[in-house]
Amino acid sequence: MTEATETSETGIADVPSPQALMIDHLRNLLGDMLEDASVHQGQIVLRTGVTSIVATLTALRDDQHAAFNQMIDLTAVDYPERPDRFEMVYVLLSMRNNMRMRVMVSVGEGQAVPSITQVYSSANWPEREAWDMFGIFFAGHPDLRRLLTDYGFEGHPLRKDFPLTGHVEVRYDDTLRRVVNEPVSLVQEFRDFDFLSPWEGMQANIPGDEKASKDG
Amino acid sequence: MAEMQIKPITMNFGPQHPAAHGVLRLVLEMDGEVIERADPHIGLLHRGTEKLIEHKTYLQALPYFDRLDYVSPMNQEHAWALAVEKAVGIEVPLRGQYIRVLYCEIGRILNHVMNLTTFAIDVGAMTPLLWGFEEREQLMGFYERACGARLHAAYFRPGGVHQDLPDGLLDEIGNWAERFPSFVSDMETLLTENRIFKQRTVDIGVITEEAALDLGMTGPCLRASGVAWDLRKSQPYDVYSEMDFDIPVGKTGDCYARYLVRIEEMRQSLRIIRQCIDNMPDGPVLAENNKVTPPKRGDMKNSMEALIHHFKLYTEGFHVPEGDSYTAVEAPKGEFGVYLVADGSNKPYRCKIRAPGFYFMAAVDYLSRGHMLADSVAIIGSLDVVFGEIDR
Amino acid sequence: MGVIDPRTAPPIGPGPEQDAILKAVGDEITNRGFVIASADKLFNWARSGSLWPMTFGLACCAVEMIHSASSRYDMDRYGMLFRPSPRQSDVMIVAGTLTNKMAPALRRVYDQMPEPRWVLSMGSCANGGGYYHYSYAVVRGCDRIVPVDVYVPGCPPTAEALIYGMLQLQKKIKRTATIARG
Repeated sequence: MTEATETSETGIADVPSPQALMIDHLRNLLGDMLEDASVHQGQIVLRTGVTSIVATLTALRDDQHAAFNQMIDLTAVDYPERPDRFEMVYVLLSMRNNMRMRVMVSVGEGQAVPSITQVYSSANWPEREAWDMFGIFFAGHPDLRRLLTDYGFEGHPLRKDFPLTGHVEVRYDDTLRRVVNEPVSLVQEFRDFDFLSPWEGMQANIPGDEKASKDG
Repeated sequence: MAEMQIKPITMNFGPQHPAAHGVLRLVLEMDGEVIERADPHIGLLHRGTEKLIEHKTYLQALPYFDRLDYVSPMNQEHAWALAVEKAVGIEVPLRGQYIRVLYCEIGRILNHVMNLTTFAIDVGAMTPLLWGFEEREQLMGFYERACGARLHAAYFRPGGVHQDLPDGLLDEIGNWAERFPSFVSDMETLLTENRIFKQRTVDIGVITEEAALDLGMTGPCLRASGVAWDLRKSQPYDVYSEMDFDIPVGKTGDCYARYLVRIEEMRQSLRIIRQCIDNMPDGPVLAENNKVTPPKRGDMKNSMEALIHHFKLYTEGFHVPEGDSYTAVEAPKGEFGVYLVADGSNKPYRCKIRAPGFYFMAAVDYLSRGHMLADSVAIIGSLDVVFGEIDR
Repeated sequence: MGVIDPRTAPPIGPGPEQDAILKAVGDEITNRGFVIASADKLFNWARSGSLWPMTFGLACCAVEMIHSASSRYDMDRYGMLFRPSPRQSDVMIVAGTLTNKMAPALRRVYDQMPEPRWVLSMGSCANGGGYYHYSYAVVRGCDRIVPVDVYVPGCPPTAEALIYGMLQLQKKIKRTATIARG
C-alpha cells in the first residue's frame, strides 16, 4: 500500500520487485550473518543473530547500494513461551531506495545485546526504553538508565507477566507529609473478558464431561 | 591570587515550567550561563498506553491515539487505522479517503498554529497566540461538527471514517480556507523579519543534515536541515498521491529555518484542503464489511443480522490475522509509526508507537550544548515537542 | 429603599436600581469616609473576583485550558489571570493525567501555593484516572495527592466547561466563612 510493492504481491514473477533485488544484494553483502530474509507488505524482514547485529547494521548503513541511513525505531516483543523470550525489532529506512526494513533478533532473558548507539545515534533513547520496559540489557550503551517509568520503579512493565495495574500506587500521606508508595488496591478489578465464543473457544473439556465418558 | 576552581552548576528546569511545553524536567549542567550538558528527564506523563492497548480490542485502542499527540489528534488515528486496515486487508472508499486527508491537513494546521504561536511566546511575542487561537477555535469547530468532539475525535476508524460530514460543512471549511492565508501573512509580518525574533532564533540549535539523519529526526525538523523527505510524497497513503503540493525545505537547520518550514507547510496544507473540497467524491465513507465496520443504524432496526454484527463488533471486536507490520504516516511533527503485532485474537499482542517527538527530545542534548540557558527554551519550542506522544 | 437581604434576594443587574445602590455607597464614603460591610463578604468578594490560576498543564486538557484563556473564551473577563508561578496563584487547575512520577512534583507545587488556595480537577484523568484508570503508571484521581474543590468532567472538558467550573468555584468561595467565630 505504501511502497512500490505491487509486483511482489500480485505475483508477477518476471519482473523482480526492488525488494527482491535488495534481498539478493543483501545475501551477498551479509553472507552468513543473514539467517532469513523475506518481503512482507512491501517491507523487507531480515533475521540475524544477536552477536552479529552491530556488524549487520553497520553494513546496511555503509553499503552504497543499500544505504539504510536512518534507524526509525527500535523495540522488542515479549513471547514468554519461547526459549529465546524477546524479539528485538530494528526498523530501518533507506531514503535513497525509498525502502523500509525490519531486522529481527531473538534474545533470551538475561542475554546482553550489543548496543548499536555507535552505528545509529538515534538508538540511544530507544535502547534505554527497551531496558526500562523489558529489562533487556544493552552492552556498551553509554548511559543505560530507566527512561519512562517512575524514579525507583521496580519491574519491567511491558513484559507479559507484569500486571496491567502494576504493583504500587501513590498517595499523599498527611502524617508523613510526603507522597508514599503503597500496594495497589482497586475498588473494581479490570474487566478482562474472554471473548472466545462457545463455538470457537471450546477446546478444553467442559466440567462434567468426564462423567459422561464414564457412563458411556 | 590563588587559582579558583569553578565547578559547573547543575540546574533543574521543570517539571512545572511554562516554557517546557508540558511536563519536561531538564537537568542542565551549566558553566556560568552556558549549557555544558542537558539531560532531559522524560516519563512524567508516561501513562502506559502501550500496555493498555494490549488489553483493549482494536477499536477500543483507537482513542488512545488521540491522546498521544493531543495537538493534532486525527493524524495519529490515521496511523492506527492504516495499520489495522493493512492487517485485516480492507479498502477504504474514496470519499472516506478524501475526508481523512482533509482532516489530516486540518490537524497539521492545528498543530503548526499551536507550535508557532507558543514558540513565539517562548521567545517573547504574545500577539500571535491571541490571533492563532481564534483560528484554532474555528478548526476545532470543524472537528466538532464532523464527530462531536472538539479535541479527542475518535473519527478515523479502520475502514474509513465514522460518519459522513454534515451538509454545508465543506463550504464553511472552504470559506475558512479563503480567510486563513491572511492570518499566516499577518503572523509573518509580526515574526519573520522581527529583529528580536531573529536574534533569538537564527543560528540557534543548528543541526546538520547528517546529524539530523543520524539522530532519527523526521518531519519539519529534518526538512529544515535540507532533506527533502516527506512520507506524503515518497510513500503516499490514502489519496495523497493525487494531491498537488510542494515540500518546503530549509537551508540552515536552525530554529529559524524550522519556523519558516512550518509557515510554508501551513500554506501547502491549505492547498491540499482546497483540492479535497473541490474534488470530494460522493459515496460511502466507511467500508461495507460488517466484520470490521458497524452496520448502518437503519439496517439495525430491520435486520437481525445487522444487530448481531453490531453487538459482536462492539463487545468482542474483530479478529486480526496473525502477523506483524510497521505503518508510518507523516504526522505534523514527523514520522509517526505503529509497529503492530497481531496474534489472531481480538486484541493486539504488541503495539509499539514510534513518536517523532521522542527523537527530538533525545536530540536536545546535542542541540543545546554550548548555547545559553535562554536558548534552550527557543530550541525546545522550535522542536515542537508534545509529551503525550513522547512519554506515551 | 429598604433593606435587601443578600442571602435571599436575587442579584441586582445593571440598570437604574443598581446605579442607585452604587451611588448610595459612593455618597456614604464621601460623606462619612467609611462604609459598613460584612468583612467576610468583602474578603470573599475580593478573593472570588481575582482568582489567579496557575498554568499547570499536564496533558490533553492543557490545550483546552489554554483555549479558555485565549481570545475566544478569554477568562480574563472574570479576573482570572494565569500565573506561571505557584507563589502568585490562588487556584491550581490540574489539567490532565497525573502520573506516579509527576505526583511528588504536583504536591510540591501545591505546597508552595499561599493560603487560601483551591484546586480544580479538570478532566476524567485528573478526576479518577479515566481512560488510564487501570494503568500501572497513573494516579487514580488527583484527590489522592491534593484536596480538590471542584471536579470538571469530560475528556477533555471544553473550554466552556472549564469556565463553568471556575464560576462554580467562585460560588463556593462566596459561601465559605472566612473568619472563624468562637
